[in-house]
Amino acid sequence: MADSDKGNNLGLSLNRRGFIKGCTMVAAAMGLSEAMIPRMVEAAASAKRPPVIWLHFQECTGCTESLLRSSHPDIGRLILEIISLDYHETVMAAAGYQAEKSLHDTLDQYAGKFLCVVEGAIPTKDKGIYCQIGGRPAMEILAEVAPKAAAVIAIGSCASYGGVQAAAPNPTGAVGVRDLVSTTPIINIPGCPPNPVSFMGTVLHYLTFKRLPPTDKLGRPLFAYGRRNHDHCERRAHFDEGRYVEQFGDHGHRNGYCLYKVGCKGPGTFANCPTARFNDVDVWPVSVGHGCIGCTEPNFWDTMTPFYERLPGVKLPGSPVTNVDSAGKTVLGLAAAAVGVHAVVGAVKRIAQCKCSSNSSEEEV
Amino acid sequence: MSYETIRVWGVLLRLYHWALVISISALAVTGLYINSPWTGTTLEGVAAMPMLAMRNWHFLAACLFSGAVLVRIYLLLFGNRYERLGDLLPVTGRNLRNLFSTLLYYLYLNPNKEERMGHNVLAGMTYLLTLLVALFQVASGFFLRYAESAFWQGLGGAIFGSQQQARFVHHLLMWYFLLFALIHIYLVVWNEVKAPEGIISSIFSGRKFKERQH
Ligand code: SF4
Repeated sequence: MADSDKGNNLGLSLNRRGFIKGCTMVAAAMGLSEAMIPRMVEAAASAKRPPVIWLHFQECTGCTESLLRSSHPDIGRLILEIISLDYHETVMAAAGYQAEKSLHDTLDQYAGKFLCVVEGAIPTKDKGIYCQIGGRPAMEILAEVAPKAAAVIAIGSCASYGGVQAAAPNPTGAVGVRDLVSTTPIINIPGCPPNPVSFMGTVLHYLTFKRLPPTDKLGRPLFAYGRRNHDHCERRAHFDEGRYVEQFGDHGHRNGYCLYKVGCKGPGTFANCPTARFNDVDVWPVSVGHGCIGCTEPNFWDTMTPFYERLPGVKLPGSPVTNVDSAGKTVLGLAAAAVGVHAVVGAVKRIAQCKCSSNSSEEEV
Repeated sequence: MSYETIRVWGVLLRLYHWALVISISALAVTGLYINSPWTGTTLEGVAAMPMLAMRNWHFLAACLFSGAVLVRIYLLLFGNRYERLGDLLPVTGRNLRNLFSTLLYYLYLNPNKEERMGHNVLAGMTYLLTLLVALFQVASGFFLRYAESAFWQGLGGAIFGSQQQARFVHHLLMWYFLLFALIHIYLVVWNEVKAPEGIISSIFSGRKFKERQH
């Protein structure tokens, strides 16, 4: 797909061919019939498309980077082309007061009509002072913008669930959008970073059908997060057949076996990575020999670690316990010892009793 | 000394017991394999599918286990007088006394077993705890198995959080069942040796022996 734009990667204009190609890719990722593509193209090309306010909070800008620098020029430009980004701190030309003005103009002019995209977590501790833009805490900006938006799209794991910033002990009290906003419909596109296709699909769905796509209980669109990576992984046959990588670099690893035993979290992670894949080389972590780390799940930083073990560890200071199994074995061992002592005490008592009673009266025995 | 036999355990309760024995054994073995597969096929083209088979056996045994748990819950409400909830908990004076006398008896501090045909209250409380753990085990298991279903996503998500957290709890609770099995088997044998009620045969026949009053 990159072929159409060879040598022209820096130009920001998108020709019609690339435009339709981008829409088609997204429609395929969403599982829509090809009959829908013209409607989608029409909606995306319409002059009446809603403006977008893109808020950056506590984050690394990786989601924006992966969107705009995606080596699919079609997708990257489609984003700039079909949504009118009135405020985006990373790519907008305006700065300072100008930028603030454009934000407020959009808020006033398009109240209830614009889309709000949030990237990054929102710190809430100490009145949210750990992330401020133009002297205002992120919490305050979100509280001003989100209720006026038609819908909020939380892009990335940080905006969805707090992300790495919210990892224990969460020093800044970072939370996701859904923890602060309740009046506006919110859709989560988690991932670190999420696939540009999942984001585009959501936007195009909104433009075409005038509503957000159906989601799971965690607010993620089902077309992208309806299934676990494990259930459509290309290494799944190796999993069922019991062929595992035991160690990175071993025979199994060189032969592309399943990464389950080196901690792959695909079995617990809802995402479309194996089907949508990333960049124009069509890869995802497992396809290049590294297990999934579960970055689309809430609190993945705390619950999916250690990344190279099946299950989280259990540590009791000063004991041999390091994981669930050693904890289980230790408790079972202690119980067996207790049972042994109990049995011995019983046996000794009985022997003592027999001796006593045989001494006193033979009748009783 | 002569004895009469008293019918204590109904057919359903005995079936429940043996279904648990079979399903817990199968679930523990297959579950340990699924968590950490100790063998596989590295030959290409063999199609032995050990993991697939272990998972299928695990799901089959899980259905047996869940069914058994449901039967026990039914019996707690509608079973005979020895099987019902009221007989298992220290809610009456008689049950409370039995709890303490059983504790003393097990600690070798009281040589006489209180005559009681059903579960002693210590056992009753343990079985209820086990049933509660079993419910969590069933919920986490179904949440992991039917992760796409909205019902289990709602329930499992509310109780456990994510799939990975449910997997962790599911694995941890397995060790509870192994611990339970160890202590249960020991105490049953111990009781069999100490008292003439025939506790082991009762789970086959449903009948216990009682000393005839003269
Ligand atoms: S590599 Fe990971 S996602 Fe793929 S089959 Fe193995 S465990 Fe599942």
